[in-house]
Amino acid sequence: MSSRLLTVAVIFGGRSVEHDVSIVTAQQIMKAMDRTRYQVVPVYIARDGKWFTGDPLTDIANFKDDAVLRHKDVIPVILSPDVRHHGLLVDPLARGLFRRPQVIRVDVLFPAIHGTHGEDGTLQGLFELADIPYVGFATLGSALTNDKIMTKQVLRQAGLPVLDDVWFSRSQWQHTPDTVLARIHEAFELPVFVKPATLGSSIGVSRVADTALLRPSIDVAANLDRRVMVEPAVNTPTEINCSVIGFGDDVRVSVLEQPLTYTDFLTYEDKYLAGSKGMKSADRIIPAPLDEAKTREIQRLALEAFRAVDGRGIVRIDFLLEGSTDRIYINELNTLPGSLSFYLWRPSGLSESQLIDQLMHYAREAHAEKRRSLTDYRTSLLTLAAARGIKGTKK
Amino acid sequence: MSTPVIVGSILIAAVWAAAAIQRVYRQARFFQIEEYMNLRYARWVLRERSRALPARPLVALIVSALIAFFSDTVPEGFSLIPFAAMLAAGVAALVPLPEPPVKKAFVRTQRALRLLITAFTLIVLVMIAAVYLSLTVSSSSLVSALSVGVAGAVAFYLAPAWLIAANVLMLPIEETLRRLFIRRARGVLADVHPKVIGITGSYGKTTTKNYLRDILNGRFKAYATPKSYNTMLGVCIALNNDVAQDYSIDYFICEMGAYIRGEIQRICGLTPPDISIVVEVGPQHLERFGSLENIAIAKYEIIKALRPDGLGVFNWDNPYVRQMYERGYPQNRIAVSTQADPHTPLPDGPRFIAHEIQESLTGLRFNVTDTATSTTRTFQTPVVGRHNVLNILLATAVAVHEGMTLDDVARRVAQLQPAESRLVTQTDERGVVVINDAYSANPVGVKSSLAVLGMHSGRRALITPGMVELGDLHYQENFKLGVLATQFATDIILVGPKQTQPIREGVESTAFPRERLQVVTHVSEAIAWYREQLNAGDAVLLLNDLPDTY
Repeated sequence: MSSRLLTVAVIFGGRSVEHDVSIVTAQQIMKAMDRTRYQVVPVYIARDGKWFTGDPLTDIANFKDDAVLRHKDVIPVILSPDVRHHGLLVDPLARGLFRRPQVIRVDVLFPAIHGTHGEDGTLQGLFELADIPYVGFATLGSALTNDKIMTKQVLRQAGLPVLDDVWFSRSQWQHTPDTVLARIHEAFELPVFVKPATLGSSIGVSRVADTALLRPSIDVAANLDRRVMVEPAVNTPTEINCSVIGFGDDVRVSVLEQPLTYTDFLTYEDKYLAGSKGMKSADRIIPAPLDEAKTREIQRLALEAFRAVDGRGIVRIDFLLEGSTDRIYINELNTLPGSLSFYLWRPSGLSESQLIDQLMHYAREAHAEKRRSLTDYRTSLLTLAAARGIKGTKK
Repeated sequence: MSTPVIVGSILIAAVWAAAAIQRVYRQARFFQIEEYMNLRYARWVLRERSRALPARPLVALIVSALIAFFSDTVPEGFSLIPFAAMLAAGVAALVPLPEPPVKKAFVRTQRALRLLITAFTLIVLVMIAAVYLSLTVSSSSLVSALSVGVAGAVAFYLAPAWLIAANVLMLPIEETLRRLFIRRARGVLADVHPKVIGITGSYGKTTTKNYLRDILNGRFKAYATPKSYNTMLGVCIALNNDVAQDYSIDYFICEMGAYIRGEIQRICGLTPPDISIVVEVGPQHLERFGSLENIAIAKYEIIKALRPDGLGVFNWDNPYVRQMYERGYPQNRIAVSTQADPHTPLPDGPRFIAHEIQESLTGLRFNVTDTATSTTRTFQTPVVGRHNVLNILLATAVAVHEGMTLDDVARRVAQLQPAESRLVTQTDERGVVVINDAYSANPVGVKSSLAVLGMHSGRRALITPGMVELGDLHYQENFKLGVLATQFATDIILVGPKQTQPIREGVESTAFPRERLQVVTHVSEAIAWYREQLNAGDAVLLLNDLPDTY
């Protein structure tokens, strides 16, 4: 244990529109992990939902044209929900004289899947069943922050500044589009933003300044998600990002950044495909050129938001600063921020590998906290039932 | 040779063989209690001759032989009477004799079955040989019937010998199976690869083991060997049955017992400990070790088995264990104490000290100071028995070393439960408090058990067969128990007049009223007494529970 390497399974890919981004994120994470402390086991979920492991998965060059899936050292694997396995079952359907399933005990799970089936609590639910420490938000926080509508409701309830919104379901939009449009027009002046409730990386998001474009924009969003949210556009906005890491009372906040590529808003390509290194090379100012009081205020809001959504591990919170009113709004929470926000933590005093160490620490502390709650609570119910029969009648 | 003679001989042989088989089967559980040790079992048979080998079949045989002899009128022909007489004697042997109630029944293990089948086969072969010989030697009804009957009786009275013979015969097979079993256990440990915590001591092992498991489970996943499994084979059973393929186990907590020197070393060879705990060195099993020094040497094997970077945890309050601590190996050592002064810690003294210990019927409450960090926490637990403070401290030392805080530990301690039959308090349906302490018969344990009894307000009865396996200290320690009991109990019921003699003398050396002291021969009488005499508000302490061989 203490003298041994910690086995960390990094899980990436996934059945999500952000599959490719996830591969990049996972490679960055694996590269940053100190190999004198961690033994890295890559777990790749292909686009069709098949799970694989094997050393070739640690080299991004192998992912071109899905070549990696044909590599002989890439073999099927599953994460077992049976607590006794405490990790991965390699080649679970293997049978034969010299082939049998093998267990890799995992000490910490590191999910590196963006969006659906990764950042939304589903994967975390599996981790909880397996009873293995894992990095990042738990089931509730993941599911919550993955949904923009619910996140804003919770933040609003906590007294934190968020923009007003109008939201509706796909079926409402299909059956009564005019009512929906009327609600939007009644609430907001154009321009507005139309956003699918749960998708990340700006997919399906449109800025609508022209009434004629409102319908097609909502159609796009409603095709991508079951629920759609419309909120007013902020005047002369400045985007400010801030990262928070921690667990329980041990929480810390990073310096602020101001991304400069902000024009109307970032498209998917802006975020990930501008230049070879993606967002890392995008122009940004760190720390953001704000006065001391504003910086403090944003950092305070970031910490409060982290607590409000039951945060743990890491998050990047995106704020919008309205130029005309000087108001601050919390715009979005990313529980698996691109590049893990390394660029925000380095100037805050944590190197990439130190940040990873911190995240591992929080994962294990969070798991220890879970162990503090009893799950094996025995009652006399079964004894009674056995004695009296299930219907409560005497035998 | 006539057919009736053959049939008669075979019938007699069959009935006597069945009787012998039944006898062997009934003896098997005693052989099992003596752990299949030939000499120990043989000694028991000699000591308990009448129980092991009842006289009735012998009497029946003699009577039948006389009848056959005097009624034999046809020297060369077939005569029914000798066969009928011998058959009747065989039936007398076969009809089961009454036995005292069984406390520890025969356990149908694979090994026991192999042993029994071997013994039964031996009996059948011998009886076949007897029939064959008697028929070839003589064709007289009398001689045939008598010789087969006598052979049957011999087979019957050799029941213990068949068991021992079968045991010897099976030895190579059992040894091979044992090796394979151990090899498998070794493989399991290498595969699952948990941290190993070894616990030894003359007593307190099982309790400390369970407490440590329950405390560590507040943060990790710990597995403890079940019950009092503490032999090489017991540890292997735990590994092969429970640990195999359970990769979630962070800690394997292993109780290691010793009856002879080298035994702990052997267990440590299978499960090399990362952490070793020595609970107590005391006179338990003194008769097998010869001296307390030998016991201490045997227990120290668990410390010697540590790698230089391992951790040793010691009970500072026991002089023998303190000496182990002071020998300086390994580098990482923690001592705990319930007696040291927490305010002026010694430079190389105990790190965890319990003080201000209060005991009540609802449990224990005490302060624990970690002198290394100068922090103190109050521990409260529903567990009773003052000696448990030390067991909790030993577990605390390991838990803190592994990264839990004193707060974490205190939270777990608040939920501890007593181990099975170790100072478990229950109230029966009539309102009598029954304190069950059937397993901890040692000089330290009985003192705190009596103290718990003494805290009750009604009639307080002690039912005990005394402490055993104390060797030279048997008389002295049991005498002391007798004296001590008078301070806490209002009634004393001793089970077994012979082995409780020293306790009786202890009791009688005080002013304890004689009419309140009773000596009975069987536990059932004591239980009947308590059902009759005690009422709601009274308490009874059941101290130590003897196996059937005593």
